[in-house]
Amino acid sequence: MNFIKELTKGIIKENPIFVIVLGMCPTLAVSTSVQNALGMGLAATFVLICSNIMISLIKNITPPSIRIPIYVVVIAAFVSIVDMVMSAYIPALHKSLGIFIPLIVVNCIILGRAEAFANRNTVIMSIADAIGMGLGFTLSLSVVATIREILGAGTWLGIKVTPQTYDPMLMAILAPGAFITLGFLMALINMLKEKK
Amino acid sequence: MKYYIKLSLILLAFCVVASGILAYVNGLTAPVIAARKAQTEIDTRQALIPGAEFTEAQTADGAQYFIAYDPATQDTLGYTFISAETGYSSTVKTMVGMDKDFKVLAIKVLDHAETPGLGANCTSESFTGQFSGLTVDQLKVDKDGGAVVSLSGATITSRCIANSIRTRITAVQSDINAGGAE
Amino acid sequence: MGYFGELFVMAMTAIFIQNFVLSRFLGLCPYLGVSKKLDSAMGMGMAVIFVMTLASAFTFLINVYLLLPYGLSYLQTIAFILTIAALVQFVEMVIQKNAPALYKSLGVYLPLITTNCAVLGVAIINTQAFRSDGVTPYNFLDSTLNGFFSGVGFTFVLLAMAGIRQRLEKVELPKAMRGMPIALILAGTMALAFYGFMGFNI
Repeated sequence: MNFIKELTKGIIKENPIFVIVLGMCPTLAVSTSVQNALGMGLAATFVLICSNIMISLIKNITPPSIRIPIYVVVIAAFVSIVDMVMSAYIPALHKSLGIFIPLIVVNCIILGRAEAFANRNTVIMSIADAIGMGLGFTLSLSVVATIREILGAGTWLGIKVTPQTYDPMLMAILAPGAFITLGFLMALINMLKEKK
Repeated sequence: MKYYIKLSLILLAFCVVASGILAYVNGLTAPVIAARKAQTEIDTRQALIPGAEFTEAQTADGAQYFIAYDPATQDTLGYTFISAETGYSSTVKTMVGMDKDFKVLAIKVLDHAETPGLGANCTSESFTGQFSGLTVDQLKVDKDGGAVVSLSGATITSRCIANSIRTRITAVQSDINAGGAE
Repeated sequence: MGYFGELFVMAMTAIFIQNFVLSRFLGLCPYLGVSKKLDSAMGMGMAVIFVMTLASAFTFLINVYLLLPYGLSYLQTIAFILTIAALVQFVEMVIQKNAPALYKSLGVYLPLITTNCAVLGVAIINTQAFRSDGVTPYNFLDSTLNGFFSGVGFTFVLLAMAGIRQRLEKVELPKAMRGMPIALILAGTMALAFYGFMGFNI
């Protein structure tokens, strides 16, 4: 296995949101704007990379029977660090992401990768896996957010992109819009997978 | 048994190391967070009653407010305070500046997590601007007989802001009249 | 308003107005994963209510008597998630001993309650929540009951979803829509219906 392959698998083939279907909660909640999506994606990627590194480093000294609690402690520690640093230096983003920052700790993607990959591969490979998965997560989140932000607020990253006559579909940035957008996106991807 | 103790100790060791690192990061970030919060409040106060200096005071129920006075003449220019009440999906915190006759000068919504597109529009100038010049009795939403025009689709948010301001003004007013200030 | 009035507001909010799954987006993985059959949904729902109630109680105690007095709020995430993990482990052992059939049908989803955003979510929400006057924070009873009502809200939509999906099994859907996409669109429709509760002035 080589570095590049591990890196890219997370973006399409094993995309965490659309293929493995993990990390649903933040996907639906945070995709109200592309800015939030990018913020969450990068925060989660950071935690994913750090925890993958750490767990790969300690994989030989963690007794298998208590490995899950140990992983949880490691991930929770990194999430807490991200929480504090964001609150201090990027307060606006910290506020929009709200409760979903501490909830990164239960983001199945991170624990899932720790259990499925980092604890049986080298540190370098784990980094590649983390970057790939994190990137896949961030990109997918941004795709959903792009659709929702353009339809629901007429902007993209805060810049107005729709004509003056377009009255934003408020429902797109509210809860129902989240589910329906994601549902149709997944159906689309299923169709594309069939075509292949 | 010894095996379980060993496992627990390993887990404990991880927790201790993690806690230590977090304590360190907390030491670095907590002062930054607190300083920024204090600065935002100072800046907002200055924006509401420009050119004034402020002294702190407390109402009878322990809530904080500030007396604004003209540094040159030492006359009371007005008061500022923060009012908070549960809106639709969060607590809405508003800072209010009022003149010495207890009429609202200006307000600024400091903190909220209301519904985007609906209650979240409470921070817009078109909503907050209408509070300027209102007296205590006018501080109700139009549905309740007051002068505040609610945001469309966000009566609850609008009502909570109007009510929270009215309650606080009444409290500060009774405190000042009772000679509580100084 | 009286305490029962407060509780009624809390229950209405947790179950309908700010439903955990359909409004707050918490508890989605099991919601989308376990909601295919009515009886496993029921078992899951019961387990989640139980864990959420206990978790709310324990995390409240830890927060108020350990974290806040000693200024250790930055350890909240770690402390809460470890408490929840321990709790789920305990519940797992109890179910395994007393209801082995339920244990088998829940399968891997039982330990996954640990990573259920709803449980950690309600624990954190309880620390930030205020009663309707906007000033009094939740006390022990408020937090525990909120955990219970939130669990009920979760189970309520879980069962509704399972009921619908069970019937959907018999319908011929376009291939691309089967499974996750139709579940999501169903959830969206339910969320839309629940939006009617918005603006409930109690």
